[in-house]
Amino acid sequence: MREILTFQPEYAEYLRDESRKTGRADSISFPETEEEVRGILRQVCAAGVPVTIQGGRTGLAAAAVPFGGHILNLSRMNRVLGIRQEDGSFFVRVQPGLALLELRKGLEKKNFDTEGWREEERQAFVEFCRAPEQFFPTDPTETSATLGGMAACNASGARSFRYGAARNYIQALRLVLTDGDVLSLRRGQCLAEGRRFSLVTEGGRRIYVELPTYQMPETKNASGYYAAEAMDAVDFIVGSDGTLGVMTELELKLLPLPPVIWGVSCFFETENQAVAFVKRLRKSGAEPAAIEYFDGGALEILRLQKKRSTAFSALPDVEDWAAACVYAEIHCGEEEEALKHLYEIGRELTASGGREEATWVARNDRDREQLQFFRHAVPESVNMQIDERRKVDPVITKLAADMSVPDSCLSQVVALYREGLTRCGLESATWGHIGNNHLHVNILPRDGEDYRKGKELYREWAKKVTAMGGAVSAEHGVGKLKADYLTVMYGKEHIREMAMAKKAFDPAFLLGRGNLFAPDVLGEEEG
Amino acid sequence: MTGLRIDRNQCVGCGICAKTCAFGALEIKEKKAEANDNCALCGMCVDVCPFQAISIEKEEQQADRTYRDVWVFAELTGDRLAPVVRELLGAGRKLADQKGCRLAAALIGGGNAFREAELISLGADVVYFCRDEKLADKREEPYTAVLKQMVERYRPEIFLFGATAFGRSLAPRLAARLQTGLTADCTGLSVEEENGLLRQTRPAFGGNLMATILCPARRPQMATVRPGVMPPAQADTGRSGIVREVPLPEFPERIKGIKRVPLPPAKSIADAEILVVAGRGIGSRKNLSLVTEFASLIGAEYGCSRPLVDGGWCEYPHQVGQTGCSVAPKLLISLGVSGAIQHLAGISRAETIVAVNTDPHAPIFSVSRYAVVGDCVEILKEWIRMLKCR
Amino acid sequence: MKIIVCIKQVPSSNEVRLDPVTKTIVRDGKQSVINPFDAYAIEEAVRLKETCGGAVTALSMGIPATERLLRDAMSRGVDEAVLLSDRVFAGSDTLATSYALSLGVRKLGPFSLILCGKMAVDGDTAQIGPELAEMLGIPHVTEVNRILSVTEEEAVVEKQADGFLETLSVKLPALLTVSKDINMPRLPSIAGIRYSEKGPFRLLGAADVGADPERAGLSGSPTQVVKTETPRREQECTYLEGTQAEQAAAVLDLLREVRR
Repeated sequence: MREILTFQPEYAEYLRDESRKTGRADSISFPETEEEVRGILRQVCAAGVPVTIQGGRTGLAAAAVPFGGHILNLSRMNRVLGIRQEDGSFFVRVQPGLALLELRKGLEKKNFDTEGWREEERQAFVEFCRAPEQFFPTDPTETSATLGGMAACNASGARSFRYGAARNYIQALRLVLTDGDVLSLRRGQCLAEGRRFSLVTEGGRRIYVELPTYQMPETKNASGYYAAEAMDAVDFIVGSDGTLGVMTELELKLLPLPPVIWGVSCFFETENQAVAFVKRLRKSGAEPAAIEYFDGGALEILRLQKKRSTAFSALPDVEDWAAACVYAEIHCGEEEEALKHLYEIGRELTASGGREEATWVARNDRDREQLQFFRHAVPESVNMQIDERRKVDPVITKLAADMSVPDSCLSQVVALYREGLTRCGLESATWGHIGNNHLHVNILPRDGEDYRKGKELYREWAKKVTAMGGAVSAEHGVGKLKADYLTVMYGKEHIREMAMAKKAFDPAFLLGRGNLFAPDVLGEEEG
Repeated sequence: MTGLRIDRNQCVGCGICAKTCAFGALEIKEKKAEANDNCALCGMCVDVCPFQAISIEKEEQQADRTYRDVWVFAELTGDRLAPVVRELLGAGRKLADQKGCRLAAALIGGGNAFREAELISLGADVVYFCRDEKLADKREEPYTAVLKQMVERYRPEIFLFGATAFGRSLAPRLAARLQTGLTADCTGLSVEEENGLLRQTRPAFGGNLMATILCPARRPQMATVRPGVMPPAQADTGRSGIVREVPLPEFPERIKGIKRVPLPPAKSIADAEILVVAGRGIGSRKNLSLVTEFASLIGAEYGCSRPLVDGGWCEYPHQVGQTGCSVAPKLLISLGVSGAIQHLAGISRAETIVAVNTDPHAPIFSVSRYAVVGDCVEILKEWIRMLKCR
Repeated sequence: MKIIVCIKQVPSSNEVRLDPVTKTIVRDGKQSVINPFDAYAIEEAVRLKETCGGAVTALSMGIPATERLLRDAMSRGVDEAVLLSDRVFAGSDTLATSYALSLGVRKLGPFSLILCGKMAVDGDTAQIGPELAEMLGIPHVTEVNRILSVTEEEAVVEKQADGFLETLSVKLPALLTVSKDINMPRLPSIAGIRYSEKGPFRLLGAADVGADPERAGLSGSPTQVVKTETPRREQECTYLEGTQAEQAAAVLDLLREVRR
């Protein structure tokens, strides 16, 4: 059995994730098989030790930051276990620690280590090699995210505008519970009756779950447990932020890769032009697969970091007049059709006050990489700036909003953000999935006072966004950072219902402490 | 007739050739392969056909047998021999011995470029030279004129150049003037047993393919040779040889030097050919100086993993990994890096990775070609000691 | 000022993989692209045009499908494009390619500058530029990383070579090969793509440029590729053994080997 290691300073990096929060832990383990996970959980949980589950530690909501106790790090459970074909679609079975970029590499090169695969899976692999290239549609910016982590927070990305979030592509999963028992769930095989589940573990134990009674916002959403009438049990586990059990196996649904993928970045002189363009684009016949946004603050930081750091010197120059940028992606079967869509985009942007000359179009891998690099560089350069400031004042961290609203409220929410930032005199950079009215407003505090003002502003936004029918966390998950916004969004009563549902899986509240439930709510439940 | 020939009796229409062709030039019609206008005669299909049904036909021409001897171009840096010249002489000596001919060096330079004796001690039997102040600066057109005259008068069968920046600019100019074949950046040279032709091996497609190239009919057979690959010749001051001067020919002077300054070696780690990367296993900030010393001794750049930048030991431009810089060196020496997935993603394009780590199960070893289980600080000290002893 | 840019079509990826079923080499450079180094030449030519006036012509020798890439060059600011395509040109090595390109250049009439990428990423030879310059009887400078000034008579350029930074003046017409430090190539705009769809494009055969079949294509190529193979790469990790000194020495030996 894989050993449980006493926590040593050399494991310091496992106390952190991309949220840049640091936690504490007493022990850590790196299991490689489900059997090992079961053994570790049995041992640790029997002793009443809390467990924090980790994947790639790329999350932004601190869900993987330990809250004391044991760290169960799944990064060495990174194998592809098999492939299956059904009705012309391919399904790939993976361990949770597999990084998205490794999955992508395997899919693109059609190269998996098939050792230990069942005979029918090897057959399916031969079919897979002959079939057109397949892809996993969820595309978070950070490709070193693990599939387990993506399932835990129901990740999404730019292309979720067309394809939806990760949950749509998770077909089956295996969940190890705190007593070492396993729940094996397959989509379509276990539906709720009203808002009540009755699940049977492999060990024969029956679990009754009463679902929370809230209505989920009808926007992109990764806030709290997914709960709806007659829902699928798989959907309840996806997005549960590591609070119910340990996912040890996932079956992912693949889609054929569109033969033509073009990207186009459109630059505007004002934010209003960009917003007007997005609204037109959504209604147009161009059928974009993604619509992304970068505001003037984001472009400015990029210009600055490009001058300072050689790492970004390969970025194309953004002209000085540009104060907003909208990126759209075209997915098509043929180039001719893509060209029609591109020209349609051209017409819409001209009608919104933009110019066809002020665009960057990527039609080959090299250019696509350029645009990808550009999009990735925005959050990176903001993080770099924050790190510089942290050296002066360690209290400062980035404050990032991850809220979404319905389509009808796009102008309203952009105005809300802009008004608040101006009123409080805060420095900021905004980017994100504007197609889904889902923007990451990042406040860049210059000092402790800015930091306080920023937190206050987010609380205010959380209320107003909820009132618009929106979600406080649309994609990053709630984790530890946004637990109190979740209370704002659903109210204490519903949070209590969530806690009851958790109890059905994890009676002693050992898994993912601090995630979803703000410490005070948790305290009441325990008491 | 010149062109692609498909033997319809051998071809079974398996389609492997069509799948391999990068130009879409082969189609299977009525269960036989057929070539269309897209064919670039690249020869990929010839190699992959399991039935030997495809061949490229070309009329054979006879080489002019009055060309003999193996020559190397004695490139100078200032008035001294460029390091690659020793390597060319080492390789050229072997070829000449195999062919039973002489090894000669072509020396061109300014008034003080007296390197004949050194070239002979390094294995040359003959040195052809042309010395003139007009040749003090290395320029392609004057040098081409001089070399053309040497070649026409003394007729080498094989002529090797170092694949330095100048060699790779000069050799093609000369090859075009002589209307002969030139193979770029060779990493292997040998003589074919049956016909005495020069077999030139070189990487193509960014090193993903090795190609072997012949120049059967035109003379001389020319090649540039990658520096640092061939074992250098050892000097033997007892050797003797012949020295011949070639007169200065006419040439145009259309390029003038305005300024020439030495470059600081600072390069981005993204372009480094050899990269040393330090991780937390390096232990302390002061041990980083061992890393930089080792890197400079082997002519490498140095980088570090993210924790070292986060900890303020190293500057961000040195950070290797997905959130830092993606690198693609030929050789990456990884020291005390455990290998977080983000780091592994950033080094995935490295050709060969050698890792040193105390933990035999460190993820870095999963992408490494060679593993050293041990303390990287100790190994570093060992390397520095060895390199300084050389 | 008339500027000619020579471009080559290359596979978008240099990766060579084995088909998992048939175990044969699949060189599916899925999509062909403009040789990345040539993209810098295109950008530099377009920038020169934007500052000095004039026109940029893109020239390539290749299969008919290369038209797509020449039009792509037009979307990035090139004014017109010419493709030399003929079965007679097939199988060209660098000498025969330079010959064909030299005929194409002559057909285009007087010019001031020819720009090429420093090499093509598929062949890595870096020979076309100097060979073409020789056949046209004009001077050349390789690996230029800055063009400091251009007049009708001369260009002043900077290059880095073998540890030195050199500033050179070169009489025009001349040929320059450019390194990737010279600029940051732009991406095409929607407006540029609209232009490229209709921009002037000419297809020339061997007879149109008066090619001598003996000097063109396979017949005109002195070199022959007799074998291609994928170098074997061991994926497995070898744990070095022996004393610390022996292990250290083994790694140092690798240094020489990787330069191969």
